[in-house]
Amino acid sequence: MSEQQLVTVTIDGTPVQVPKGTWLVEAAKQIKREIPVYCYHRKMGPAGLCRICLVEIEGMPKLQIACNTAVTDGMVVHTQSEKAADGRRAVLELYLLNHPLDCPICDKGGECDLQDYAMAYGQGYSRSVDPKVSKPKAVDLGPTIVLDEERCVVCQRCVRFDDMIVGERELVLKDRGVRNIIATANGEPYRHNFTGNVTELCPVGALTSKTYRFKSRPWDLRRTGTTCTQCPVGCQMHVDVRVGVVQRTMSVEDDDAISDGWLCDRGRYNVGFYDDSERITQPMYKRDGSWVQISWDDALELWAAAISDACAVSPASVGAIGGGRLTNEEAFLLQHVFRAKGVRNLDWRAGRQRQASPGRDGGKLVDLESADAIVLIGESPAERAPIMDLRIRKAALQKGAKVIRVASAERAYPAQIPSMDVATVAEAAKNLPKGAKRIAIVWDGCDAALATSLLEKMPKDARILTYITGEQPNARGAEAMGMLPFCKPGYASVERGLDAAGMFAAAREGRLVVLSIFGANPALHYPGFSDTRAPFVVVSDLFMTETAELATLVLPAKSGFEKTGTTTNLAGDVLPVNAAQSLESPAEALSDLEMIVALAEKLGVDLPVAEEVDAAVLRHLASAPEDFTLGDERFVMVSPSNHPEEHRKARHEGLTFRIIVQSRILAGGGTSAHDARIAELRPLPEAAISPEDASELGVSTGDYIDLEGDATLHDLLVEVRPGMPRGSIALIGGLPDGPTNVFALDATVSVTNIRQAPEEAVEPIGAPA
Amino acid sequence: MSDFSALRERLKKQCDEIIAQYEQPRSALLPLVHLFQQSEGYASPEALRAVAEMLDLSQAVVESTVSFYTLFYRKPVGKYMLQVCRGLACTLNGAEDIMAYFREQLGISHLQTTADGLFSYEEVECLAACDRATCMQVNLNFVYDLTSQMIDDMLAAMRAGKYAVPPLAQTRAPERSWTERQDFEVSTGGKSAGAQDQPDPNNPGGLDRDGIIMLDRILSDEARFKGRTNERLANVEPALAQVIEE
Amino acid sequence: MPVVKVLTEGIGEANLRDIKVYRERGGYKQLARAFKEMKPADVQAMSDKSGLRGRGGAGFPTGKKWSFLPADVRPRYLVCNCDEAEPGTFKDRMLLEETPHLVLEGILLGAYAIESHHAFIYIRGEFKRGYGIFMEALTQARKAGFVGKDLFGSGFDLEVTAHRGAGAYICGEETALLNSLEGKRGEPRLKPPFPAVQGLYSKPTVVNNVETLAYLVPILERGPEWFTAVGTERSKGYKVVSISGHVQKPGNYEVALGTPVRELIEIAGGLRPGRKLMAVQPGGGSSACIFEEQLDLPYDYESLQKAGTMLGSGAIVVMDDTTDFVRAAFNLVRFFAHESCGQCTPCREGGHWLERVLHRFLENRGLKSDIEMLARVSHEITGINLCPLGDSIEPFLASVLKRFPEQFEARVARETVRA
Ligand SMILES: Cc1cc2nc3c(=O)[nH]c(=O)nc-3n(C[C@H](O)[C@H](O)[C@H](O)COP(=O)(O)O)c2cc1C
Ligand code: SF4
Ligand code: FES
Repeated sequence: MSEQQLVTVTIDGTPVQVPKGTWLVEAAKQIKREIPVYCYHRKMGPAGLCRICLVEIEGMPKLQIACNTAVTDGMVVHTQSEKAADGRRAVLELYLLNHPLDCPICDKGGECDLQDYAMAYGQGYSRSVDPKVSKPKAVDLGPTIVLDEERCVVCQRCVRFDDMIVGERELVLKDRGVRNIIATANGEPYRHNFTGNVTELCPVGALTSKTYRFKSRPWDLRRTGTTCTQCPVGCQMHVDVRVGVVQRTMSVEDDDAISDGWLCDRGRYNVGFYDDSERITQPMYKRDGSWVQISWDDALELWAAAISDACAVSPASVGAIGGGRLTNEEAFLLQHVFRAKGVRNLDWRAGRQRQASPGRDGGKLVDLESADAIVLIGESPAERAPIMDLRIRKAALQKGAKVIRVASAERAYPAQIPSMDVATVAEAAKNLPKGAKRIAIVWDGCDAALATSLLEKMPKDARILTYITGEQPNARGAEAMGMLPFCKPGYASVERGLDAAGMFAAAREGRLVVLSIFGANPALHYPGFSDTRAPFVVVSDLFMTETAELATLVLPAKSGFEKTGTTTNLAGDVLPVNAAQSLESPAEALSDLEMIVALAEKLGVDLPVAEEVDAAVLRHLASAPEDFTLGDERFVMVSPSNHPEEHRKARHEGLTFRIIVQSRILAGGGTSAHDARIAELRPLPEAAISPEDASELGVSTGDYIDLEGDATLHDLLVEVRPGMPRGSIALIGGLPDGPTNVFALDATVSVTNIRQAPEEAVEPIGAPA
Repeated sequence: MSDFSALRERLKKQCDEIIAQYEQPRSALLPLVHLFQQSEGYASPEALRAVAEMLDLSQAVVESTVSFYTLFYRKPVGKYMLQVCRGLACTLNGAEDIMAYFREQLGISHLQTTADGLFSYEEVECLAACDRATCMQVNLNFVYDLTSQMIDDMLAAMRAGKYAVPPLAQTRAPERSWTERQDFEVSTGGKSAGAQDQPDPNNPGGLDRDGIIMLDRILSDEARFKGRTNERLANVEPALAQVIEE
Repeated sequence: MPVVKVLTEGIGEANLRDIKVYRERGGYKQLARAFKEMKPADVQAMSDKSGLRGRGGAGFPTGKKWSFLPADVRPRYLVCNCDEAEPGTFKDRMLLEETPHLVLEGILLGAYAIESHHAFIYIRGEFKRGYGIFMEALTQARKAGFVGKDLFGSGFDLEVTAHRGAGAYICGEETALLNSLEGKRGEPRLKPPFPAVQGLYSKPTVVNNVETLAYLVPILERGPEWFTAVGTERSKGYKVVSISGHVQKPGNYEVALGTPVRELIEIAGGLRPGRKLMAVQPGGGSSACIFEEQLDLPYDYESLQKAGTMLGSGAIVVMDDTTDFVRAAFNLVRFFAHESCGQCTPCREGGHWLERVLHRFLENRGLKSDIEMLARVSHEITGINLCPLGDSIEPFLASVLKRFPEQFEARVARETVRA
């Protein structure tokens, strides 16, 4: 855009200079003058419905709404004049006519715009003597949200959010006039990945979160600003604690660069797991096949001794996995300690993802908005990095970017988001908008061949922005910190050690003796991990995970709410992680940093002081590699499948299928299994299949099937999904009760035992009981 | 094939033609719902789902749109939709008496359907026939200059199946009313929302189960209140204490 | 007799729904002439010179409205507003049902004038009969080659689509109408942008009333000077007025603008014998009443505006001394509350509040303080809404509150106990 023209407007006697076209409400903010609004929202623009933002503008006979008035040069505005105050007062009285005065038991009390404005601008009494209209007070809108119809002020922010920001249009206005009410279609549950935002958008206590209802008053909360560490987007958020417990997380409104002011339902609702009674509170040691609690000192002794003894024979018999769920500092120190002992077997990649750093063309999240086309290859960010998906939707909905998905197995985007599905990379290239100048490529980091072949087909004159959406929040940081078998911090090449797959294979064959795993659960993500027979496996985690069960020593770790450091998101932004104030965590739990420091001491490894670590982290993160790009061959794993040979031969007749593993925001990591409040939100093990294959098999949505290959998976709920590639079945990854890891990476399976759903099982989840 | 899919099949060509009239398919929403309502007697959930599919819209959007318009019936109605004008010009010419007579003869009131499913009755806004007040529409056909005698004759003819206006299609038996709309003109019985001791489970009047849990927590965690900050309140400009007047 | 027959010519005498009859009486001649001999700009100039003002309610000069269309954006749309639902108005329905070809010819001329190749007519949902009649006329006209491709060999294509509403007064408001035509809830849009810049499908659009467009036909035939020869300084030409209420011969009458209101009432047969005139609502449900002493007011836009009311849609409702003004006020307030789309708080909540209070008066349960409150609140909710509907509640209520306070006082409860 060219130089913006500035204009001067006088608000309550104070002149303020703003770009031409700025809305009056925004101009007023610059001089800290609050103009009350209900329907207006910075990210959605004016709607002009609530009429509370009335101001007096000289030369205009009527009061004007500040939300939809663009300032012009020389405009003189009065927000506090008698006329303006009178208009506001009248509107407020109308709001309170039928609004229940149940503030004492309203979650919004204390942070309610109606309460605040009534106090600041209201008259304090009502001229109405008629009884208030009463309406339903607890309408179950779905698994996350409850609606109090009486409190709703019909500002339509939630409706516009669903329409303009998410594009799902599930929440709508029903009926007309004074009967207007927020509702979903036919009482269907309100469900998508961003529902919780409406509770923040709602200026009153009409839309509330089931998890936070009646839990606290806002002024009793201790608030900490931090970064959400549940996916690689790294949204900025507030953690609110009362009685030692995280009551809720809230978005940061002005976080324009990363979250755009929103949170996904994972970041918002999957926050109670750390408080679960099943959390490990003490180091555990497996003695003669059963677990015993031991002291930290004993645990560290055992661990250090195992490493020292093995290294004395050969450092090649020692390995460590982790980093993707650690802070940058933790990942840095982790590799530092192990490398100091001569260990080269280091990797963070315990799942399907192979690469996390996009290299020289890596884009920032905001850059997506300027792309003419966004090509998604592999799994889209929809479930892996939801807020990035929201940014893609924004680019498509509001800026007209074209979204192209290649060989996607996912549900279609809502019709109003301009998007298309193509089968091959070549088709994607052909369908780019003519003369596209900026093209964003978003890759899931799994199939390198797809990524490179797409890159080759891009127009030469276009600017290419690349992104890798990963499975683990700090994967990019882990790579920069040197948690890779082929490079040190800052991506500096070193002699190659074993990658994760190689370590698992070596462990099975007895070549790897001590394996330390930090914040990773390969037993759930990596086919064949359970065959690992390393003599000494150490796992640091919050829970007795499937991997921990197989270990010798389990160390109680701290969660992302309980530690401090930095994390790196998928766009390379370095973000602060802060321990939530006044949160109570198990006394014995240590952060991975604390564990590593203690281990270093036992091993006699010198560590840099904290300031040096911080400086090193920043330096290495900044040294973004110039020489590699998507699908760089160094990231290829030496042995992609370490599954025993005989398992790969599927025993099947008839149709066979290839498995596609897909994420769901509340399936990964298993943490959601540890919070009863969100049990309803967890996906059921399901199998998606193309309509053509479904009709050939004779199954339909809602049926149950078993899958048989090198193992058998029972009771998968069928979803017939238009657009699915034929010959494939999509399964949800990371679910403990429907694990995709029972099948080898390249296995084929067949469908057995088809049966119709029992009646109650097809009940939509979240329907009122 | 279900009845509805047969109907949809039968109307497919017509639907396609309607959609083709417009530059943007969504414009066909009202005409399509009219079309299905004409065949089924009301805008059935199946019809709305079909319209959503044809126009590539979410079902919620279709329902939201349809619920805006009073001529779309979201539940089955009687075979004769009797819509009496309650506009000013008709009222000046005795519409209230006519409406009272109708209610008495039918035994139902505004927005209701008779138990036998024959009549639905609604009092509607000005029908643009003020020169022939008082007036009404029967299945959207005008009837002018109403008298009680005309009403008697009309209802008798309808009951006998001999009325000049054909009955509406009726694919399902109607309920007492076809709308959740209320005109709120009847007082709400002195019930003040949010007040205590409301037996209505919908309106616990404040303390529901979770609320009591909250109270318990507050009581047992008294010490936690010491650190309260009042931060938010401090941000608001000092407001004069308002006297709450009776 | 000041009653004239221009648009109403032939109504009640001949079957104008038959295209043959309509053509025999000179129908579609102007259309042919325009397409063959005139440029769109010429038609625009004619309407501009005639001083024709919108007959839908706002009275905005038609030529000026057309001139707001941005020169270089295509396509453009013309939408004919036949959602007639203003209480007391029944002229558009008559034109639609009795002389559909005239309505269509007006639409075609208007569309040609603004170079729109697709015109729409939005017909009120209740007008099922009128819709059927118009569709038949459209079929006849299409067969005759007046609608469709390459009209009269001019190379100009013009399609007309009739669209039925489904029960919502607010869809008469032009931006709500456009939303409804786009398959959305009939909620008025925030302005700016105005329809002339971003209307139907976000393209430049003109919305004109049925009667406005119909007058294009005689204006073309007889020239703008014929139209400007009658009327007043700024209210030119003729108007179909709908007169109803307490008159002996209610109906539509076509008259020259500026005819005194008293004369109009006489045209409609005057009051019933022995009755006394109490109030006249001169411009539809949204207008304030005028009273006996004002009956000599010329019926034109400016005079009525000066008198604190408006000409609106040209619906005159006459009320004699049998009128219960509390009931009348309740009736109109309830109408607006019922028809509010519910977007704006003042319109939605205020309308409902006033309705409930007036309902209490009907039950003789008013409060003395309510009388002043009715006036205050109805005034407070005026002028701060998104569309004019919310502002339509006050005028009638305020005028009768002021004129007949005793009728309201009579309905105050004897013993007032504050709830
Ligand atoms: C609440 C409301 C209802 C309206 N209803 C109608 C109507 O039924 N018919 C109509 O022609 N104009 C109606 N109008 C006026 C239209 O918005 C618009 O001004 C008119 O159609 C323009 O046509 P004209 O310039 O030919 O008068 C209404 C306006 C409002 C605010
Ligand atoms: S004034 Fe009333 S009818 Fe008009 S937009 Fe606002 S709420 Fe809707
Ligand atoms: S914020 Fe301006 S009208 Fe709502």
